[in-house]
Amino acid sequence: MSHAIEISGLKYRAGSFELKDVDLHVPTGSIYGFLGPNGSGKTTTMRLVLGLLRPLAGRITVLGDRMPEDAPRILARVGYVPEQPHLDATLTVRELMTFQAAFYRTWDAACAEDLLNRFELDDHRVFGRLSKGQKAKLMILLALAQRGDLLVLDEPTDGLDPVVRRDILTALLEYVAERKATIFISSHLVHELERICDWIAVMDEGRVVTEVPMEKLKQGTKRLVVAGAPPQIGETPFVVLSREPENGASERWVVGQWEPEMRSYFDGLGASLVDVIDLDLEDGFVELLRGFRASRRA
Amino acid sequence: MFHNLDARSPIPLYAQIAERIRLAIATGALAPAEALPSVRQLATELRVNPATVVQAYRDLEAQNFVEIRHGAGTFVRELAPGRRARERASQATALVRKLLAEARRMGVSLVEVQKAIEEEVGAKTP
Repeated sequence: MSHAIEISGLKYRAGSFELKDVDLHVPTGSIYGFLGPNGSGKTTTMRLVLGLLRPLAGRITVLGDRMPEDAPRILARVGYVPEQPHLDATLTVRELMTFQAAFYRTWDAACAEDLLNRFELDDHRVFGRLSKGQKAKLMILLALAQRGDLLVLDEPTDGLDPVVRRDILTALLEYVAERKATIFISSHLVHELERICDWIAVMDEGRVVTEVPMEKLKQGTKRLVVAGAPPQIGETPFVVLSREPENGASERWVVGQWEPEMRSYFDGLGASLVDVIDLDLEDGFVELLRGFRASRRA
Repeated sequence: MFHNLDARSPIPLYAQIAERIRLAIATGALAPAEALPSVRQLATELRVNPATVVQAYRDLEAQNFVEIRHGAGTFVRELAPGRRARERASQATALVRKLLAEARRMGVSLVEVQKAIEEEVGAKTP
């Protein structure tokens, strides 16, 4: 499988914040969701991918070229929507489009006009006077019209109303359907990512907690209700993320990498598995973080 | 046809989409030779990854429910009447399994479920 982004052994430090040995592999053509609490290192990682920050160590490959050495060649093929709008507030929508077009040989003026209409943006209005939703739409327009092979989107729809989110999402999905482009997207809107992503990476405290195909994460993360388990257990065929007493004699376990055949494990333990409860991405994400933090403190 | 797709379910979205289309074919809501929406259309309508729709269509093709004609689109195949009936029966079984699992989880007994079904059916068909 080829990768649009490949990161290995990435280290970075700014003040007390540190990225520690980050490894990521974003498959070409995937929609890759990047989750993590605020301050976990998502934005920093994205900025390193774009060459906006210099790593202390590690290797970053983007679309087959090395970052930061081949930055100009890479950036010509990457659309980026930063968390905070970075555009000149005194320029009009039209001026910003013209400005952006000048930097990209692949700029598609027809696509830009089409999005301008669909997003119902007024091209005479200056950026500083646009609403939050209009700003977000313009940033997406600029990123899409340059026809890149990779889109790096840092929380592009967070804090927007549902109508704007839907417009943006539709434009992104059409782009992917048409261009087979790769999207590397971070968001706190877990349910939105749950619908569109085929891969998920979770970060916490500057480290990668997990990187896994969406389906595997969702099918493998379960809440188990277990009765009669001894306090000390040895090796398990799955990953125990947390273990808490429930009312009565039973316990709730949250496990990762679960497979239905693993039920028999509890017979060997002299315990019984009362129930297996499915978790959605949000529950799975929260439980993964809890498990990760507990294991780091242990 | 695609209402209440559940992205939060552990059943992958492509499998849910394929299941809805299979059912529509089995019930005749989708007629033989009818075209399915394009990948781009369906992906944006359902707000899912286009790859998810491609996967659903490929699975349906592997099961002989549809035919993918490259460049032209995806078309419903003619199904033997027996197969349509079997497909509806398997959908019915899936519904019942879901109901029974939920009942077990809630502590509702089989007798109570049966009684409720009889009452509902009686109420719906006077």
